[in-house]
Amino acid sequence: MSLSLYGAQADDTTFRKKLRRLEQNVLRMGTMVETTFRLSHQALFNRDLTVVDGISRLDDEIDCYYRQIEVSCTELIIQQGLVAQDLRIISAFMQLVRDIERIGDYAEDLSEIAVKLFAYPVHSCMGEIEAMSHHAQAMLAKSLVALGDLDGTSGAAIKRLDDVVDDAYDRLYQTIAYQRDIVGVVEPLVLMTLVIRSLERMADHATNIGQRVSYIVTGQRN
Amino acid sequence: MRQFLLGFAIACVGLIWLRHDQNQQILSLLRLFKHPDSRKDSKTPLWIQLRYAIKLSLAHQEKLANLLEISQALLQNAPIGYLQVDEEDRLIYCNHQAEQILSLQGWPSQKHRLFLEVIHSYELDQLLGQTRDQQTPAVKEWLYHPVCVDGNQLKQQQGTFLKASSLPLPERQVGVYLENQQQLIELSQNHHQWFIDLAHELRTPLTAINLVAEYLAKRIAEEDRPWLQQLQNQTHRLIELVQNWLELSRTHQHPLKTLQPQSVELCSLIQEVWQGLALLGEEKQITLDIKTPDQVWLSADRTRLGQVFTNVLHNAIKHSPAQAVVYLEIHQTSSGDSPYVEVNVIDTGSGFSSADLPYIFERYYRGNSDHSYHEFGHGLGLAIVEEIILAHGGSITARNHPETAGAWLQITLPTDSQI
Repeated sequence: MSLSLYGAQADDTTFRKKLRRLEQNVLRMGTMVETTFRLSHQALFNRDLTVVDGISRLDDEIDCYYRQIEVSCTELIIQQGLVAQDLRIISAFMQLVRDIERIGDYAEDLSEIAVKLFAYPVHSCMGEIEAMSHHAQAMLAKSLVALGDLDGTSGAAIKRLDDVVDDAYDRLYQTIAYQRDIVGVVEPLVLMTLVIRSLERMADHATNIGQRVSYIVTGQRN
Repeated sequence: MRQFLLGFAIACVGLIWLRHDQNQQILSLLRLFKHPDSRKDSKTPLWIQLRYAIKLSLAHQEKLANLLEISQALLQNAPIGYLQVDEEDRLIYCNHQAEQILSLQGWPSQKHRLFLEVIHSYELDQLLGQTRDQQTPAVKEWLYHPVCVDGNQLKQQQGTFLKASSLPLPERQVGVYLENQQQLIELSQNHHQWFIDLAHELRTPLTAINLVAEYLAKRIAEEDRPWLQQLQNQTHRLIELVQNWLELSRTHQHPLKTLQPQSVELCSLIQEVWQGLALLGEEKQITLDIKTPDQVWLSADRTRLGQVFTNVLHNAIKHSPAQAVVYLEIHQTSSGDSPYVEVNVIDTGSGFSSADLPYIFERYYRGNSDHSYHEFGHGLGLAIVEEIILAHGGSITARNHPETAGAWLQITLPTDSQI
């Protein structure tokens, strides 16, 4: 079953329409954050700073949607006669947009770091960090697909992917923190630490999204 | 007996009236079936006319069904992609090519799902919304990335250049044609690279030839000098030619310098940009007070100019206090005999700090003070705005407005130039 086909029997009540509009806005916000993440990846690893302006504009728009969705959720929740799954969906949305919005914020942070890192030569760790970023992006995509498909089983799979990102974080942290013979300032190392920290947090938020989808479907919290 | 006759007469009248009523109903049915071939012969009994009309209509219906089947087959197998969404952005149709282009899996089981559930594309979403709101066709080109849930594959994924042309349909549905531009882009890139390589390859031997000719010039007999002069002239010509090629390819690598001019109506362009920012404006309840002539036409690159006003108006919204007004005025004027248009964008924010003012158009410059106007944009925004305006032969100046104390950006663009 997918999100939009859920509850299709009572297809055209005003409530269903409002719920579908809400779902659409949540998915739209997700797609915008995916775009922001992709652009910040481009700024960071392809050293393409022309995308930076677009990111901050997108992030402002994402924040607008975030606030709008919260208001719509509250409006829907105070209606009478909601069944358990409706309530679960709406309350999960309220939490899940918070996760999506945080990922967007981290993506904007990454683009700001990209501007500062631009001045320094490319560090040998960047290849591995790029792979970590790809994994985090794939997790976000997977969690949004799970949301669209209302797939309660993806939650566990996304959690396993999170372990890959966590391992990469630990490994990279070791490499960066214990580097010796540093020539010049430590700013690039500090910035790279911030990058891996942000990526690790983004992956965590993607995991949360997967978990919340499972909650919508099964009503069980993992 | 009289009672019988009376009863009989009443029954007759009733029967005739009933009959008349039935005839009227058949006639109105016939009018419903109105068909060019239907007989207008009033002598044929009505029920025969009705039967004939139904027969014709059934045949017509069959013909239409056939036509529909053909059209659907044509659309399904068309070499360009086509998809259609309903008023709530649910996918209701998607042809074979569109499935391929978008890497959709499992269509048609995806039918009636929200398109954002299956296609994660912010650009396509924007195009659909814009087409539905403005009820006009639109075109968008962008690099499309299909949904990818494998981190290792993501590294290889390059994305596909797509061109989407939308069409508003009845009942607020929207249709979109999709074309894969990837090959075209690659071809033009290859072609371009080939061109640069060739120029580089030619330059080295030409420089060598020129050096040898200079060396020889000092050593050959006076009477042979004109021949050598000829050789040197031709070599110089070739070197210059190659140099020009390389120069050209360099401008190609800086797309800002290569504009695609077309006839643009400035006022509607600005309105369009403002609508695009409406959500942000509404959030802070900011209104745009716009004073423009009816129409201002100029020759410009529409996309680039749109980028300029998006940037400028976004800045104005961002730095205005809530419920403020952003003023935008357009004047047509001229200096000497060259006409130009002047666009003033004035906000009521805190304006530029005087320390930042001289540098705001510099690349990567960011304002020092915490609340500076320029902190948004990481230093590239206004630099790009200026670059685009300059490339159009215009100018841009920034200062603080004496009355509102907010930022005042003044942009001039020539109205008769051919860029």
